[in-house]
Amino acid sequence: MQKQKIVIRNASGLHLRPTGILCNEAIKYKSTVKFQSGNTLTNAKSVLSVLGACIKSGDEVEFICEGPDEEEAMAAMIRIIESGLGE
Amino acid sequence: MFKGTNASSGFGIGKAVIVEEAELVIRQQSVADAAAEVERFKGALAQTMDDTEKMAADLATRVGEKEAEIMQGHLMLLMDPMLTGEIENTINSQKVCSEFAIETVCNTYADMFAAMDNEMMQQRATDMRDIKTRMQKVLLGIASVDIASLPAGSILVAKDLTPSMTAGINPANVAGIVTELGGKTSHSAILARALEIPAVVAVGDFISHVENGDTVVLDGSEGVVYVNPEKDILQDYVDRRDKFLKAKKDLEQYIGKETITKDGVSIELVANIGKPEDVEKVLQYDGEGVGLFRTEFLFMDRTAMPTEDEQFEAYKKVAEALAGKPVIIRTLDIGGDKEIPYMGLEKDENPFLGYRAIRLCLDRKEDIYKPQLRALLRASAYGNIKIMIPMVTCLEEYREARNLIEELKAELDRKGIAYNKEIKVGIMVETAAASLMADAFAREVDFFSIGTNDLTQYTMSVDRGNDKISYLYSTFNPAVLRSIRHIITCAREAGIMVGMCGEAASDPMMIPLLLAFGLNEFSMSASAILYSRKLITNYSTSELQAVANEAMSFTTAKEVEDYMKAFVAKQA
Repeated sequence: MQKQKIVIRNASGLHLRPTGILCNEAIKYKSTVKFQSGNTLTNAKSVLSVLGACIKSGDEVEFICEGPDEEEAMAAMIRIIESGLGE
Repeated sequence: MFKGTNASSGFGIGKAVIVEEAELVIRQQSVADAAAEVERFKGALAQTMDDTEKMAADLATRVGEKEAEIMQGHLMLLMDPMLTGEIENTINSQKVCSEFAIETVCNTYADMFAAMDNEMMQQRATDMRDIKTRMQKVLLGIASVDIASLPAGSILVAKDLTPSMTAGINPANVAGIVTELGGKTSHSAILARALEIPAVVAVGDFISHVENGDTVVLDGSEGVVYVNPEKDILQDYVDRRDKFLKAKKDLEQYIGKETITKDGVSIELVANIGKPEDVEKVLQYDGEGVGLFRTEFLFMDRTAMPTEDEQFEAYKKVAEALAGKPVIIRTLDIGGDKEIPYMGLEKDENPFLGYRAIRLCLDRKEDIYKPQLRALLRASAYGNIKIMIPMVTCLEEYREARNLIEELKAELDRKGIAYNKEIKVGIMVETAAASLMADAFAREVDFFSIGTNDLTQYTMSVDRGNDKISYLYSTFNPAVLRSIRHIITCAREAGIMVGMCGEAASDPMMIPLLLAFGLNEFSMSASAILYSRKLITNYSTSELQAVANEAMSFTTAKEVEDYMKAFVAKQA
């Protein structure tokens, strides 16, 4: 299992468009891709789940990837968030 | 006559087409073969996704990528494993029909979004209900209203337009839109503006007063709607529509023209923007640059300070989009009247005279000002960025900010980071003190931009938000006009550029005076640019001197306004 904390930096937080970009990346991997914010565990492959988490710019989340390609999945998540999720 | 919210300007005249979504009645029906029912659901899902993809592609080519985004959002929701998984689970575990499973699951999510304390999230509730209805219609074999094939000259009348209905709207057949619900920022209103279809929304009870085929007249600028109006009213609106369309066409000929007065004085006609996305409109209306880019948006509606990199990206984006045209970026202009919890600002007793703008920035150099100035300097390598400092009251403030910029330049030099070494640094002239000292400021700063909204407020000691004293708030007050003339004269004597970025810059009654005073740059909302260019190119600054002298001889705002009103009327 891979775990890593990251701060969401794009201006509008995880709204529909950035969320779509995040989820489209997450579904490319066989591993489960989730993130923890406060007490909620969110499925990063689901737009609804991510939108429901209400992540704002500046919030810190912890990504948890588990499965055969967990390392690649984690690296991809960090990369796409750091790139600003299309904003 | 019906009144609603003016959502998209222009006049629509045509025959009413009432678009009513049949209220679907979804009953809980049990199914014997759950596996077969899941397959039935999957079929409807695939069909709905296919339709959505087509709508998105059509919108992208017909209107624009941005307008297609909402349909792409629907597609993502339809692809969501959580949503489809839950619908399948409901069918399997409760042995119910797909229609009912979709109803329960989608409603749960729609309610969740609707309850969120955020307008953007609440919009997702509308999206969720829209995809719910569309999947159910596919299952029930009910055709959706085909808005794309309405007859030409239709006035679309609806309770509310769902995003998928709006997607079919084409200006070739829809002459106007009237809805009972909705608002200025709802998707249908945004699309109507993008397609330049007149629209009035939030009219309230309307459908019960209109029949299919009735003549409907709407004024999208005033938010007024008539059903089967009297002959003279109808004729009046036909005239107004024709005049509106003619004026619009007339302005289009000013695209690509130079802004130059009859006696050969070149004027810079630029735009005010609040977000990087606004650049699109600036280019559409042929703005010659950006005269005011407010940076507050970067700091609002969030839980932490924007990073230097994030700011750099936003500034760079605008600078690159304007491709070498000037982009004046104003540093943070914020104070105790705005709620930004992470900044830890105390509530000011008197926020407009308090701890704000440059006063605050110079006190918070490390966490606020340096990152912003560094981001601006770095972005200056990508276009013609100029830095503008707001609410300067005394020279020390400007000097301190300027020194800070020089310090940061040296730091970038040491690190080998690129920036424009000749970057211009100017000030907003908007306090009475800065105006009185304009000659001294003009010797040190690179440019002035007159902020007339605040200059009027501070000169007249009038809170511009207070209706009870609004009689004092006029830029035509001789005190304000003398101040403006003085600022411009000082700038011209020192040989620096002087612009204006307040509302007065696009006021047809003010433009002749500003030209006579010698203003170089006019900055306004993008949509006012072409009309202002038309006005400016028809004036001669030398001929306007007599008008300005006469206007400046009056002692009350009313006299000046009356005189300018008469002058402008005579021109037209």
